Amino acid sequence: MVKRFVSGFLAAALVLGSLSGCSVSTDTGGGAGSSGATTETTSGSVTATGKEEQITWMFWDDLNATEDLISKGYKQVIDRFNEQYKGKYYCNVVTTNLEEYPTKLNALVTSGNTPDVFICNPGPNLTQYVESGAAADLTDILKNQESQWYGTFTDGIFERITYDGKIMAVPTNFAAACVFYNTDIFKKAGVEVPKTYDELLAACKKIKEAGYTPISCSAGTAWCLSMIAGYLCDREGGPDNLVDVNAGKIEWTSKTFVDAATKLKELSQYFQDTAAGDSNDQATANFYNGDAAMLVQGSWAIAQINGNNPEFEDKCGVFQFPAIEGGSDPNRMIVKTDNLVMSSTTKHKEAALALMKMFTDDTAQKYTAEVAGKIPVTKVSIDYDKAPKQFAYINDILKNVTGTLGFYNESLASVEAGDTFDAAMVDVFLGNAEPQQALQKVQDFYNKNVWKK
Amino acid sequence: MNRLLEDRKAAFIFIAPAFLLFTLILFVPIIQVIYYSLCNYTGLTKPDFVGLKNYIDLFTSDETMKIALKNSIFFMLFSGVTQQIVGLFLAVLLTNIKAGRNLFKNIYYLPCVLSSAALGLLWAFLFNPKIGINNLLSTFGIQGPNWLFDTKGFIPLPMWVIGCVALWQYVGQNMMLYMAQISGISRDIYEASYIDGASRGQSFRFITLPLIKPMLITTLSLNCIGSLKFFDLIYNMTQGGPNHRTDVLATHLYTQGFKYYKYGYASAISMILLILCLFTTFLISKCIKVETYES
Repeated sequence: MVKRFVSGFLAAALVLGSLSGCSVSTDTGGGAGSSGATTETTSGSVTATGKEEQITWMFWDDLNATEDLISKGYKQVIDRFNEQYKGKYYCNVVTTNLEEYPTKLNALVTSGNTPDVFICNPGPNLTQYVESGAAADLTDILKNQESQWYGTFTDGIFERITYDGKIMAVPTNFAAACVFYNTDIFKKAGVEVPKTYDELLAACKKIKEAGYTPISCSAGTAWCLSMIAGYLCDREGGPDNLVDVNAGKIEWTSKTFVDAATKLKELSQYFQDTAAGDSNDQATANFYNGDAAMLVQGSWAIAQINGNNPEFEDKCGVFQFPAIEGGSDPNRMIVKTDNLVMSSTTKHKEAALALMKMFTDDTAQKYTAEVAGKIPVTKVSIDYDKAPKQFAYINDILKNVTGTLGFYNESLASVEAGDTFDAAMVDVFLGNAEPQQALQKVQDFYNKNVWKK
Repeated sequence: MNRLLEDRKAAFIFIAPAFLLFTLILFVPIIQVIYYSLCNYTGLTKPDFVGLKNYIDLFTSDETMKIALKNSIFFMLFSGVTQQIVGLFLAVLLTNIKAGRNLFKNIYYLPCVLSSAALGLLWAFLFNPKIGINNLLSTFGIQGPNWLFDTKGFIPLPMWVIGCVALWQYVGQNMMLYMAQISGISRDIYEASYIDGASRGQSFRFITLPLIKPMLITTLSLNCIGSLKFFDLIYNMTQGGPNHRTDVLATHLYTQGFKYYKYGYASAISMILLILCLFTTFLISKCIKVETYES
């Protein structure tokens, strides 16, 4: 009897032991008190006692190891939240690196463990969570229950995160894509800020002759290259290009896109030699280390540039992407918001809402502009003397902006459509395909998956 | 009779864990994957049955699938050939030396026990255009190639590079298995051959090679299956890029499933991968005949 009991116990232990080995951990590093799925804590002074209402926030950078000023600001928000609501609410943070973020978030959503609040890009990324019902509709909260809070936001900021009149996220900051330039190199090469594409080419030629790399760009991180391509597409054909191609009114192989891709090829001869393999961080480092004269990037790069090389701030200028003569409106700008999404299944709605409000309060928004150099989403007053110099330059550019567009790859029909566009542009850059051939691949994708021809 | 019944119970109890594990973590998921491969399934909504559409799309309109299939087969052939030859060479070398045998055995086997993700990142740094090997070459005035981002050729340079890194990492496994097999061959046979006038080369050709054939089937099967479902080094070194040129079946599956959330489509790719693995194992076991020389 005892033997049978022992053998049965051992068999059960074996099964349980094996099964526990199969459990999946979503712990993604970053917190000192991490203990498995969605229970990672921040390293702030306040620790959870277990008695408070706990929520989870998921983010795409390691808050404890980051050098990025925006991420550091987010860490301050979490610490403030845990301090202010001590004993009532507590926010655990789940972090991953940027590349892994959508995969891990999606795995949590699929398994029914959606974080109470998570950060999300606009466009197809947000759309999938809206369409699957993972994102909570915030319209009633914003417009009725918290109308005072809603009133603090700048006009039109909810446009790209509104679906059929329903607001599905709350923005925390917004970035605009510009051309950053090294004023020292421009001076040494004897070039002025280019206003047109032809002037840009001429400036690149002069800079190259002066012994510098004219433009630092990453094709290894495809969206960096595709951001330049997106600007060229928009400068060629304006807002109609994006609207019409998504609606099936014009083809990717039409003249406007082919001209844009041809210009990308032309411009790419002035990229650094290692552009094909350089990552986004390496391309940005080329610029702030003084190896390259220009960098086309979103204004989030300010935090990265000034965070890594504070001395560079004084010689870093900013101008808007040049016009194409005979093209469309040159005052349109690529912009993008970081957005907070509330889980539709959260059991801690009040706590999640309190956290979202803290991300957009005056302290957080002032930090966004004055320290990190990104553009606030509320009407908070900014001390421009405290803000990075590039922030003021971008603000000046924004005064003349007549319209905005999202990143091209994030404005297409799906994440895969955006990747197909990125891949086509990389093909053009690498010389694997002529512009017409590369764009034909995007067209083929649209025919099959978007227009369903 | 009672004792027999008791034995059956004991047998059942001891079989149960393995049976449960097999059913829960292998059999049930395989059945699920077969079903999902016939569905349009995003993971966020319920599966929508579409028949063989995913399989038809895979072979008719998916350019990346063609690249992935080509790369996976290349990788299998490259790894199969190089790991067999180098693994056997090292095994023979180490069984024939006395001084430093254990040291070199451990050195060659060490990469096998290290994390592939860490090694992938390490090699990615070494092959980065700005740091590592190219930096070293530039001190001699040589401009190194774009090791991981060159896209030219039927099999692009990054695939050869990753193949060599995989060889470096996994050759120790073949070496160990072959060493175990060679150590099991009786010294008497070799001594008899030397008395008959056989050279060392001849004894290798006519004694060692035939007697390690059973291990050849094992190592070749392991190499081929491992190479077909290869993922970690490629994901950490190139992420299948640039432009899917280094995608293999496993990275294509990952992208479709976990980036585009096309779980149905990704399941169809995994079924193709499973069939390829089974077919390769079957082919190896059928093609290589093992004769028993020793009782």
